[in-house]
Formats: sequence, structure tokens, C-alpha cells
Amino acid sequence: MSIDAVPAPGAGRRGALFGGRVQEAAMLLPALALIAVFLLLPFLSSFRIALTNERLIPRPVPPRFVGLDNFQNILSDHEFWVALWNVARFTLMVLPVQCGFALAVALILNTKLPFRNVFRGLFFLPAITSMVVVCVIWATLFQYPTGPFNQILSVLSFGMAGPVDWLGDPRFAMPALVLLSAWQAYGFQMIVYLAGLQGIPESLYEAAELDGANRWQRFWHVTMPSLRQTHIFVLIITTIQAFKLFTQVNILTQGGPRGTTDTVVHYMFTAGFVNQRLGLASAVAIILFFIVLIVSLVQRFVVRDRK
Amino acid sequence: MTSISHPASLAPAPSRPVPRDWSRVIAVVAVSILALVVISPLFLLAVASLKPDRFQILGDMGSFRAFWVSDPSLQNFRDVWTFSGALPFGRYLLNSLIILFVTVLGGVFLNSMAAFVLAWGRLPGRAVILTALIALYIVPQESIVLPLLTIVNRVGLSDSFAAQILPFMASPLYIFLIYQFFIQVPRDIYDAATVDGAGPFRIYWSVFLPISLPVLATVAILLGIETWNQYLWPLMVTQTDRARPISVGIASFFGHDSVYWNSAMAASVMMMIPVLIFYLAFQRWFVSSFISSAVKG
Amino acid sequence: MSRMGNRLLRLTALTTALGAGLAGLSSAEAATLKLMFQGDPYEVKIITDTAKKFEAANPGTTIELINTPHDAYNEKVGAAVSANALPDIMELDAPFLANYVWSGFIQPIAPFIDKAVLDDMTASNVSQGTYPVDKQLYAVALVDSTVALYASRKQLTDLGVRIPTSVDDAWTKDEFEALLEKLSTTPGVKWPIDLFRSYGTKTEWITYAYEPVLESFGCDLIDRTTWKAEGTLDGDTCVEAAKMMQSWVQKGWVVPQSAGGNQFYAEGRPAALAWGGHWFYAEAKAQMGDDVVVVPLPKFGEKSASPNGTWIYAITKNASDPALAGKFLSFMLQDPDYRAAYREHAGFPGLKSFAADSPLYAEGGAMALAFEQASKSAVPRPPHPAYPTITLAFQKAMNNIFDGADAKDELSRAAKEIDADIEDNDGYPPFGGN
Repeated sequence: MSIDAVPAPGAGRRGALFGGRVQEAAMLLPALALIAVFLLLPFLSSFRIALTNERLIPRPVPPRFVGLDNFQNILSDHEFWVALWNVARFTLMVLPVQCGFALAVALILNTKLPFRNVFRGLFFLPAITSMVVVCVIWATLFQYPTGPFNQILSVLSFGMAGPVDWLGDPRFAMPALVLLSAWQAYGFQMIVYLAGLQGIPESLYEAAELDGANRWQRFWHVTMPSLRQTHIFVLIITTIQAFKLFTQVNILTQGGPRGTTDTVVHYMFTAGFVNQRLGLASAVAIILFFIVLIVSLVQRFVVRDRK
Repeated sequence: MTSISHPASLAPAPSRPVPRDWSRVIAVVAVSILALVVISPLFLLAVASLKPDRFQILGDMGSFRAFWVSDPSLQNFRDVWTFSGALPFGRYLLNSLIILFVTVLGGVFLNSMAAFVLAWGRLPGRAVILTALIALYIVPQESIVLPLLTIVNRVGLSDSFAAQILPFMASPLYIFLIYQFFIQVPRDIYDAATVDGAGPFRIYWSVFLPISLPVLATVAILLGIETWNQYLWPLMVTQTDRARPISVGIASFFGHDSVYWNSAMAASVMMMIPVLIFYLAFQRWFVSSFISSAVKG
Repeated sequence: MSRMGNRLLRLTALTTALGAGLAGLSSAEAATLKLMFQGDPYEVKIITDTAKKFEAANPGTTIELINTPHDAYNEKVGAAVSANALPDIMELDAPFLANYVWSGFIQPIAPFIDKAVLDDMTASNVSQGTYPVDKQLYAVALVDSTVALYASRKQLTDLGVRIPTSVDDAWTKDEFEALLEKLSTTPGVKWPIDLFRSYGTKTEWITYAYEPVLESFGCDLIDRTTWKAEGTLDGDTCVEAAKMMQSWVQKGWVVPQSAGGNQFYAEGRPAALAWGGHWFYAEAKAQMGDDVVVVPLPKFGEKSASPNGTWIYAITKNASDPALAGKFLSFMLQDPDYRAAYREHAGFPGLKSFAADSPLYAEGGAMALAFEQASKSAVPRPPHPAYPTITLAFQKAMNNIFDGADAKDELSRAAKEIDADIEDNDGYPPFGGN
């Protein structure tokens, strides 16, 4: 902290500022460069492919430019709109369930509970289980008609209700997927909330306590407002993740029964990898991108407005 | 109830030791029950991994017998580990660990550095960059796998570790996450550091990183799990066993004629252990109020 | 001195010769074969071992194995083609052969395979590897596949049901539906039949296992001369066949999709019959022992029909040395250990000599009737480049029909989707014979 700490007025200061900017650029660049090469570039190439009838397995005839045909085909396909409606439903259901549960568990794990580290480990187990295994387990739980869930249902209702074909009934398939997905993924939001809770100064709670606030009031007037930035992150990211729903559907229901669990990414994957229509699949990716972008911008606008 | 929610402030703590202890016991019991309910589906995995007969696992599926094993055996674990050289699980495990550590180490560093500049730097256009980054997170991986493969093949990275590390190290998601935490750091901290004449990297390194351990741990954990469970991409980009991770190795047990449930379950359990240790190591970084102690100090 | 010199000379000569020999060897025969395949763990092991054996027998040759998980194999093939990173030899799922040949990345294989192997192939095996346009063989394999009906001998005997002893006297439609009806009221039977709906639409199952029903009724997924689906797939015969299967589901005779694939042998045997692949025999036998009886698929109309086709090996156009690739395949298919591994896992014979060597499928074996289907009733899935679309459309339609949708509507939509794809590709010339 010697000479540098006492910059000469004028030119020296500007020099430091300039040097600072170069340094900043150097700090930002590695991440941006990797993202540009491995995410942006491939995504941009799908704009080119979306305007052609390119096939996954190249045909003897070269692909040709088809203009906006792919987009038109998708937007006039009833199944696409069903898939979009399905992911919207999924998002609306999974958001409160998954984030609410994650916040509740994070609050519990943030107290001075004995064996806290053991509990932190236990509650995080579902999040480290790979989705394939999760699907295998839950398929058994949901099994019709004698699976564990149906047996529990039968006991709880004294044999009056069920059995329910959880994954095979158009009314229950999506809620079943919501439950499974929230269970597998809540660890993500839980840990983000847990990190967010570390940032709340103890002094705020002490002050609230002095004001005679009870637990509930402290939660609403200290914890929730202090988690604002975390909430914004969780809301936006969980929404995006929900719109990208794919793996569970691909393994468990393949969009059925009767299209009630088809999703946009599953629609895209089927079009591209199964039906080999790469151009069409790329167009789906682009449409999805803009739809979710609009949703995210609206979300950002709404949460910013309340400030 | 009141004794739980109105602690020390109303009465001196030592005067009511008994109800406080009881409330702690009740709390632990309640949380234990909740935890057991939540992880109960995983018992099925653990139990199945102890049944050496795959046909028995099949027969038990869909009933409560899937949660019970009468004569547990570690045979499946031994089998997976010594699969006659054709599926080298030790190799897969090592590959996964290499990919995990390099990705997480580089990822935490690169993403936090970028997030710092976006949150506190003076470069123009930071808001635009941030928005663009969040937008890029929308792009589903399934849609860029093919063009990405072409790129990777063109630069000669096919069947390599680099092809599995570089695309995932820098991530819009984690830049955004760290950014959300950095912008909550009180302005005084940043100003105090600039008055000292420190450049951006110095401020980032010696002021921001030390007070951000919880969020850095979060990124390490989440990025680690994501890397560990990557499936579609490593499947596409690896050819031989040279750089193949364990997630792809396990898929060999899901064959075309039948699923080798015994091996698949044991391998899945084995696959969870390293990442659980990894998580437990990092969650120790969740120490309360880093930023607030920095403010006070 | 001279003796010493002599010795030195001899040693030098020897070293030189050895060096030259090694150099000659490496320059003339050093070659790498890339082999992309999928398989169960035992297959991975035996293919790895066979490759090592081949390397030992052919010094200088290296075989690089690209073991790819089954569930994403077709995706990986697509990725390899589009990234121009094809191996020399690749395994492929038989019904996709026409698509790959038409796209032009695999080549006729017969010139590179031992004549002994070619002559040994069963008719069904030849048909799964043949491209209908040029009638050339593009792929070979040791094995093939089929679907049969499985039942409990005791249960059928108790009910006084006739057990067919040959494909020729398979149950007729009336007989079969009467049996299902009878089973539906038999105590202890929850579902008369498991059609393995649990396999879902991610696999080939629906097209593979149910198309024979259409064939036996006398219709098809697509007209195999005009290559149009409309008028065939949505014709009255196909609709009738689909409606029949739908009625089984609606009467509660069929194991539902979410009940898993184990109901035939799970405790209490909830499902009486199983419409399962040849691989299912091992599963059922493990739980039920010798009570399992194998019956040919029913004859719904004039003729019997059964599926065929499995994972077969082709040589790509990228192959730097197709002769060497063929040499390896011939070596592998004739290797005794390779055959033993498949025999042990109830591999369905695609070579006559392998059949003769497999007691399970030979005369008197438990699966003899299943093997009889290969020569008497096997029908390959439509060998047309539009197959990926055909199977996807049909699977979706069939699944919806099972879930209660109108059979005619669903099949019409599937037919239109198929024809649209064909039109999209200008008829996939020279198919359709414009």
C-alpha cells in the first residue's frame, strides 16, 4: 500500500481507471469466451438449420432452404400447443411445490438443530441421485394397481379410494411427474436458499426481537425481504428449468397418456432424434427460446416493479 | 409453543432449562421423521442393491417387498467392481473424478470472476451481458448437442476430457447466482477497498472471495452434481473407455433384452457415494453471516 | 576370432531380419478397426474378448471398441453421421437398415464375409439384412429374434385348453379370444394377458410386437409395393385389428402400462399369458421353472405372422479396409466362445449351425416353437427409408388407441404423417418407382 495508494491527480487516476477496465475485461473474458464457443455458437447454428430441411442422417439430396416452413409447421401443429400448455401447467404446479418445500427445509436446516450436518446430508440425497435411477424408483412407487402409493391410499381411505393409475391416467400423470420432479430437484433450491440465509445479518434479527417481533413476524419482516435477491434467482431459474422438462418424460411416459405429459423439449427431441427432422427440431428450440425469454423478462419486470 | 417461539429475550435462559431441552428433542424427532419420509424412496435403491438375483428384484417390484431384503449380500458390488475387464468401473470412476474436480475448480473461479465484474465493474454494457447470459440458460442442452459435437470434432477434442470439461466450466446459471449474491455486498466494503487503491482483481480476490464462501460452496456443489450426472453429452462425445465417465458406464446395465437390475442398482449406489462426500465437504462452508461479520469488522 | 566374428555376423543378420520383418509387418498390416456396438454386459465382455483374440491372430491389427449404451444408440448413430465420425463397423437395429442404406453410409457386405457364414444364415436373418431395392445383403449377425406367447402349462391344462404344438396349429382368433375371456373369470387371474405395454414408446416394442397382428389380419403398416400408408394402415382391416386389441384393453384383459413387466411371474401370477420377446423366456423360467410353456403367436386371419430382426453388423462406407472389417465379422460369428456366450443367454439363432447347436431352440427344446416361427411366419418390418417415421407414427397411434382414442382417427393420422414424410423426401427414390 505505498506508492499506488497515493495516485497523482489527473492523468494517473485516469490511467488507473483504464488499467482497471483492462483488468476487468480480462476477468470477464475467459467465462464469456467459453460460453460463446460452447453455447452461443452452437445455438446460433440452429438458426441456420431451422431455415432448411436438414435431416439428422444426411440424405443423398443436399438440404435446401425452406424459409419459415418449419416455424409454420410447428405453430400449426396442435401437438406443439398441447406440449406448450403441458409445460406451462407443469411450471405453475412445480414452482410453488418445489420452491416452497426447499425454503421450508432450508429454514429448518439453518437453525441450531442438533445433528444439523447429518440432516443436511439426508435432505440432500435426492438431489444427488441421477434422474434415471429416480425414475426407476418412482415408477415402482406409482405402480398400478398394487404399488406402495396405491396401498397407502387404500389404507388411508379405508379401502374407499383408488387404486389410481398415477402415470397412466390423463388426470394424474402430470401431477405425478410434478411430485417426482420436485422431490428430485428441491435440493437445488434448498441449497441456494441455505446460502442466501447465511447472508442475513444476525443484527437484523436481534433488532426485530427487541421490537417484540415473534417468530412468524421475524420470518415475514426480516427473513423474506432479506432473501429478495435469492427469490429472484430461484423464481427465474426454476421457471426456466421447468420449461426445459424432458428427462423424466422421456423415460417414464414418453408424452403419454394421450399427450398429457408431452413437453416442448420432448417434442423437439422426438422431431430431431427420432423423426430425424433436424430443421424442424431447431425451429422448436428457437420458438421455445423466445417464449421462455418473454416469460423471464415478464418475471423480472414484475419482481423489479415491487421494489 | 410459546416456550419455543419466545426464547431468551423474555426470561433468562437458565431459569427454564427443562422445556427448552424438550423442545430440542421434539424438534429433532420431528425433523428426523420428515427426513425419513423424504428419503424413503431411496431405501428401494439401497435394498435392491443388496439383492444379488436380478429376477428377484424384478419379481418384487411394485409391492412393499421392494423395500425388504431377507438375505442381504454385497455380491452386486463385487460384481460391478470386477466386471471381468470389459467395463472398467475403476477407470470410469477415476475419469468422473478428474472431470468433476477440474470443472468445479475452474468453474468456481471463472464464474465468480465474471460475476464480480458484472456486479461491481465499470465496463459498459454489463446489464446487457447479464441479460444475454440468463437468456442463454434457456437453451436446452438437447438442442445444441449436435452442433456442439461438430465443433468439438473439428477442433480435435473428440473422446477427450477437455470436451467434457470446457463446455460446462463457465455457466450462465452460476454467473447469475454469484452475481445475485455479490450485489448484496454493502457498498462500503467495495469503496473501502478502492480507497486502498486495489485493482479489480485484488478486490475480487482478497475482499469478495473470502466473504462469499457460502455461495461459492453452493456453486461448487451444484456444478459438481451437474457434472457428475451428465449423461447425453459424454455419451455422444466419448468413444472408448479413455475418458468415459461412470454415468455412461452404468448405462451398460440397461441392455436391449433386459435390465441388469442388480448391477445397475449397486452401481448407482456406488456412484452416489463420492458426490455425497463432495457435498458434505463443501456444506461446511455454510457458516452464518459472512457478509454481516465483514460489515461489522 | 573368426568364430567370434561368425557369431557376431549371424547375430547382426538375425537382428536385421527381425527388424525388417517387424517393419514390414507394421507397414503392411497395421490397421485400426473401429467397431461401434451396444449390448448387455455379457455381450460387451464377449465382444471385447473376441476382439482381443482377433488382434492376437492378426498382429498389427487394433480394434477400437465404441461401446454405446442401448437407450441412446440411434441418437449416437445420428450424431456420428452428422459429425462425419462413423466407425468402420457398426451395429444397427435391423428395421433401420433401409434408412441407412438409402442415406448411403453403409455398403454391401457379402463380398467381405466368408461364404460359409453367408450360406449358414437363416432366411429370416437374410431378410433382416437385405435392402429391397438392390436385393443386396448389407448386414450380418449371429442372432435374430422373435415374439411368442408364454403360458403356464398347468393353468392351461386345468382349464382344458388345447396347447398348440406347431406354428401350423396356432390358436385361431376365436380360440384365442375365447381363452382370454375364460381367463378373465378364472380365479386368481387379474389380467388374462401381458402385452408388455410397460416397454413404452421409447423402444421399438409396439411396432415390433404388434405389427404381426396386423399382418395376420391381412393388412400392413404400409403398402409394400406403392409405399403409401393411406388406404392400408387406415384401411378397414387394420382398423378392425386395432379395435380388437383396444377391446382387450377396455375389457380389462391387458396388464396396464404402469403395472410393470413382471406380472406374468410375480407372486400370485396376476397375468395368465405373456406376449413376450424370446428373451422373456429366461425371466419367466427363473421364477416358474418348467411350468412355462411357449406357444406360437395366434393366427388371426388367413396366415400366421411373427416379428423378426435384431441388432446386426454392417460395414460403413467410411471403412478404410472393408475386407479386414469383413474378416473380423466372419471371425467373430464363427468363434466358439462368442457363440457359447449367446447360447448361454438364450440368443435366438440367426445361423443354422448355431440353431443346431442350441438345445433350447432345437427339436424338443422349450423354445422350438418360437424358432419354428422364424422359418414359417416371420415378417420383417417395412424395409423402407421412412421407417423411423413409420414406427414413431404407429407407436403413438397404437398407444392412444389403447388409451381409448378412436382407432380409425388415430390410424388415419399416422398414415397421413407417414405419407407426408415420404412426400417430403420426394418419395425416397427409387422407392415408390415414380
